[in-house]
Amino acid sequence: MDPRESLTIAARSIRSHRLRSALTVIGVVIGIASVVTFATFGASVETEIVGGVAESGANNVYVLSQPADEGGFQQGLQPVFTERDVNQLGQIEGVEAVVPRGAVQVNSVGHRGDTVAIQQATATVPAAFTNDTLVDGRSFRAGANETVLNQAAARTVFAENVSVGDTIAVARNDEMLNLTVVGITDGTAGELPVGQFGQQASIYVPADPYYDTVVESPNRGVRQRAYPQLTVIAEPAETLAVTDSVDAYLQSESDARQLAPAGVELVARTSGDFAEQISDVISQITRFVTGIAVIALVVGAIGIANIMLVSVTERTREIGIMKAVGARNRDVMELFLVEATLLGTGGALVGLPLGLAVAWGAAQYAEVGFALAPFWSALAVLVGVLVGVVAGLYPAWRAARVDPIDALRYE
Amino acid sequence: MAQTAADSVVDLVDVRKTYELGGVVEALAGVSLTLAEGSYTAVMGPSGSGKSTLLNLIGGLDTPTEGTVTVGGRDLSTATEDERAAVRGSEVGFVFQTFNLMPRLTAVENVALPLVFDGWEREERRDRARELLGDVGLGDRIDHRPTELSGGQRQRVAIARALAPDPQLILADEPTGNVDTETGEQIMTLLGELHEAGNTILLVTHERRIAEHAERIVHVRDGTVERIEEVA
Repeated sequence: MDPRESLTIAARSIRSHRLRSALTVIGVVIGIASVVTFATFGASVETEIVGGVAESGANNVYVLSQPADEGGFQQGLQPVFTERDVNQLGQIEGVEAVVPRGAVQVNSVGHRGDTVAIQQATATVPAAFTNDTLVDGRSFRAGANETVLNQAAARTVFAENVSVGDTIAVARNDEMLNLTVVGITDGTAGELPVGQFGQQASIYVPADPYYDTVVESPNRGVRQRAYPQLTVIAEPAETLAVTDSVDAYLQSESDARQLAPAGVELVARTSGDFAEQISDVISQITRFVTGIAVIALVVGAIGIANIMLVSVTERTREIGIMKAVGARNRDVMELFLVEATLLGTGGALVGLPLGLAVAWGAAQYAEVGFALAPFWSALAVLVGVLVGVVAGLYPAWRAARVDPIDALRYE
Repeated sequence: MAQTAADSVVDLVDVRKTYELGGVVEALAGVSLTLAEGSYTAVMGPSGSGKSTLLNLIGGLDTPTEGTVTVGGRDLSTATEDERAAVRGSEVGFVFQTFNLMPRLTAVENVALPLVFDGWEREERRDRARELLGDVGLGDRIDHRPTELSGGQRQRVAIARALAPDPQLILADEPTGNVDTETGEQIMTLLGELHEAGNTILLVTHERRIAEHAERIVHVRDGTVERIEEVA
């Protein structure tokens, strides 16, 4: 039959039951909006985090130890990288700097009479601070009673803002260190990309003389400072070659190789590797949550099927009339299928923008940039239409099989 | 007097119809009947006599258990479901006691409905439906829904719908059963005019007064043709 006519008749039938049709469509709207929301919000978070990781120090090679059998990069950070390793890595061609990082246990930190309990300071080297990251002042010098604070530490920890030239009093064990603040920084060179998302207050001190985790260097035979993590900053064009060289050094002549306990492996990672790992985790979560949202879509489909079955029963007599004036079974089927498909399509057309809007709101709330998930959005609309078709199939088939003689007698 | 196949619209040859309703019920027990082109025939009989079954078979809504039903040269006893649908749509026009109009369609859309299934173009359908509604005196009601029309007006819409595909045969099943006597007379007058214009009409009724509008009355009882009476 004329497709325009089936559309007209189906649309009129939907309009004649406005409330019922609207409620049915809401089921599909919720399903599709949920899928689009979760997929889009997941994509936004992924883009934000992965983008952040990838652009922060693409020329950094992170050297760390991790359990060989588990993937987590934060576990098993062991102080195995000695000063000898730091020096040796610094000799590799294409390396600009090697930045070790370790924790110094402290009890409290005071500034102008305001003393705050702080568990640890970060020990590192002057090269960790560059003009790119320093907001004010300069880097500390090795061996000096100097410190650098990040902006969170300078602004939020103490009653009064800390500025360059101030002195802070660091209590460690039984001694009190008076350190001059020489710089305020916004992050450090070679910082682990995952560390950047919690803008925690950090106080940086020179590893020499304050870092006190020492082991005996197997190659030198003397006790040396040993760090759980190093960052090798490569010349940008040499990052790949440096990564290979660093890895080769780690697996052969490094102190770390001998110090690392069984079951711990040494790895050299670029920020791209981290980005990939994080991306994998986020997209797994996104797929899982989106999968749950699909349940809502299934419920929506059942709603359509249900209302279409009711509709077939209610319109038995109309089906009989249509058959009496020449409708073939497939004409009747077409009418009901078109009606169910219109409901599904309507749900998709309302659900898609709604889902995008909610995802946008969530992205604003979570303070991540909004990114579209075009594949999932297109799929959601397609599924909405399909949901209508599938949900309409059985009712339409029932309608087509109505016996016109019985139907015309039906009250 | 024997009719030749050329000028007969309907030919029933020894038609039997049985139903399984907790035992075999024989609704038609061997009926042979011919409707000549341009004839006006009434079928009369008490309820349960088999007249509705006869109408359903001729209208292509049902198939015989035995025998042949030929409408417009097509044997419906062997036709597929789609072929019977095509016969219902283009060879036969139904007029029902309960009007059976589509409640959500306007008068003009109801009249045009058979043409939708017959594959007519939208504009042609509308023109044809308007013209027919004018013919039955409803030219000013074409955009009304059935609920906005009186019983007599609804039946006239139904008659216009039956005429829409220019069928070989009009089947009227108790067309005056749901309207008052005066309106019933108007309906019968309209059917008489259609007959005079050359249409073949089969009327099913249990009222003698209505049946007498036809040229002949076929009396049906217990699934057989009891007698055929020519109306003077």
